[in-house]
Amino acid sequence: MRTAKGNLSPYLYLIPSLVFLVAFTYYPIFSSVYISLHEWNLFTREPVFIGLENYAILFGDTLFWRVARNTLVYVVGTIPLTMVMALVMAILLNERLGWMRNVYRVAAFYPTMIPMAAAAMLWVWLLNPGIGLINHYLMQLGLPRIEWLYNMDWALPAIMLTAIWKNFGYFMLIYLAGLQNMPGELYEAADLEGANFFQKVRHITLPLLAPTTVFVVVVGIITSFNVFDLVHLMTQGGPGNRTNVIVYYIYQNAFRFSDYGMGSALTVVFVVMILIVILVLMRFLERRTHYEV
Amino acid sequence: MLNGRRLRNLVRSLLVVVAVVGLLASQASAQGERLVRLTFYYPVGVAGPLARVVDGMVQEFNAEHPFIEVVPVYSGDYDPTMMKVQTAVRGGNPPDIAVVEISEFPSLLAMDAIVPLDDYIAQHPGYIEAFFPAFLDNSQFEGQIWGIPFQRSTPVLYWNKAAFAEVGLDPESPPTTWAELADYAQRLTVRSGTEVSRWGVTISGGWNDWLFEAFVRQSGGQLIDFHGREIKFNSPEAVEALGFWVELMQGLKVGPPHSTWASTPPDFVAGRTAMLYHSTGIMTFLKSSADFPFGAAFMPANETYGAAVGGGNFFIFEGIPQENKDAAWTFIHWITSPEKASYWSAASGYVAVRADAYELAEMQDLVTEHPEYLVARDQLAYGHGKMMAPAYQRVREILKSALDDAQAGLVSPQVALDRAQEEMERTLRSWIQGR
Repeated sequence: MRTAKGNLSPYLYLIPSLVFLVAFTYYPIFSSVYISLHEWNLFTREPVFIGLENYAILFGDTLFWRVARNTLVYVVGTIPLTMVMALVMAILLNERLGWMRNVYRVAAFYPTMIPMAAAAMLWVWLLNPGIGLINHYLMQLGLPRIEWLYNMDWALPAIMLTAIWKNFGYFMLIYLAGLQNMPGELYEAADLEGANFFQKVRHITLPLLAPTTVFVVVVGIITSFNVFDLVHLMTQGGPGNRTNVIVYYIYQNAFRFSDYGMGSALTVVFVVMILIVILVLMRFLERRTHYEV
Repeated sequence: MLNGRRLRNLVRSLLVVVAVVGLLASQASAQGERLVRLTFYYPVGVAGPLARVVDGMVQEFNAEHPFIEVVPVYSGDYDPTMMKVQTAVRGGNPPDIAVVEISEFPSLLAMDAIVPLDDYIAQHPGYIEAFFPAFLDNSQFEGQIWGIPFQRSTPVLYWNKAAFAEVGLDPESPPTTWAELADYAQRLTVRSGTEVSRWGVTISGGWNDWLFEAFVRQSGGQLIDFHGREIKFNSPEAVEALGFWVELMQGLKVGPPHSTWASTPPDFVAGRTAMLYHSTGIMTFLKSSADFPFGAAFMPANETYGAAVGGGNFFIFEGIPQENKDAAWTFIHWITSPEKASYWSAASGYVAVRADAYELAEMQDLVTEHPEYLVARDQLAYGHGKMMAPAYQRVREILKSALDDAQAGLVSPQVALDRAQEEMERTLRSWIQGR
């Protein structure tokens, strides 16, 4: 009896979190898969089983591929830049800059603390083609005026710019935390050997930051794939769907068009896509990462 | 400090208060006058401060009607409002009243979400006849009336009189035909090299589908025949209208191919564009912001003048108690009275929905001083119901993408509209077959 009870108690302790996981994660996932096999929209009062037809329509739809491409451009375009900026700022701000260091840290982290909606509206005005500050400075520098959010080619880069500005502070903070954990002896040894700043960064800091980088990449990819708020606030996917991304497309289908079947099919495709990307990436990164110091 | 006895006394007196209040409440309900609380979703289509005007009118109504309490819920723009309504109806918890964008009417019907209002209308002889007929086009289905016009508009052409004078045009005569529009726009455009510092004319993005419908009407065409269940996106009139747009934006380069609905009024105020197609709903904003004289005019004609009406209607929802429906009607009837309609029009720039509102003294004063407020009303003579179909949100997206692509010069008007037509027929297959 005693052993049976001993085996049971861990599961008992897990029940509270399990309840939430089931209610808010597993049940919705399976229910999305189920609904995605049905036609369920304004015209159908009850879901009608149609097998994989939603997926067939989806993959045959040019708009879906444009949305998928926009999402990839956004992810691939924002993450490397955000990471490089975060890393460079973190390394610089980890140096001894006197009392100014905290001022710089706050300045770099400040965008992260602004609510997303406020940041988006701020950039809508900065990017306004006629009266925006950014075009004002571009013209002062003798550069051509850009129509930014009005323009099919510039709208997505404009949103990416906003996202990088908004997010790099968060990743900088994580890198800073990683830097604070660096063993000082290694740098002392390097100093004795006469290594300069760049050699130390290249041979000590970067390798030791690898586990932090894995975390940053994974979190960065998940947040980038999930971009919604900036698109919703700045362009509503326009002009001509040039800024429509996959989560926004899910929202349009499920909530604006009341096409729950299609929305669910998109959700399933999206989840599978993220899972594959993350799995491949973890494989790739873990082979190159040494967690032991 | 509370000692035992004082605590007992306190509890005792509290109990008495509770009992008396309960008795009063039950007496009130015995007389059949229980407080009815109504949830009222309303959008503000163009500018935020109007939310305060609506709240103020609701408070006035509540003060006059002790047994009805309307709770206004500001629900954002038109699209989010429809989403909130859909979600609430699907969840079995509909609002009592909502102002919904008029093209959503077929979707509300398809969801069995709303009730016909004929029995209520019959209680007030002469009431419905006072409304402008063009505003009722988007309320009728199978011989019944389902929606009451509230915040209604048509697009108009705004022009900057100072800019007209600057290039030698008569500041008091706006263009009246497409040819004049193209001509004036070329003269008004200011460029240095390939840079444009002032556009001749901006046809606002965001609701370009609505503005486009006006151009199609001006060519004598129509985009969706709701009662005949027919889609006419690639009709010759539609192709002609889009061809004219592309000529302005890509051929003559006198207008920006893309823009957003919210940013073009500030563009006009900042002098970035000399003429602007936009809703009458921004009139009050322009008046308070522009530091140059400007005018509002009919949209220029092709074959004829033409406009699609726009805006929001009141609907009463299915699945609420009968007393709520009755109270909801009381509210709608009250807020669409001539006095309230004229107050709302003056505060917003929306067209007062009924002709008799313009006979009131304060409205007369307003239009004598600012005749621009009459432009949209007079344009109603050429006004038509707005295109509508079930799943309208998707209809709108399909048309907008086609327009955006053609405006960018990526595809020809014919190809863009053929594609949109095909996509529409696929999306609305079951509705079209139901005819």
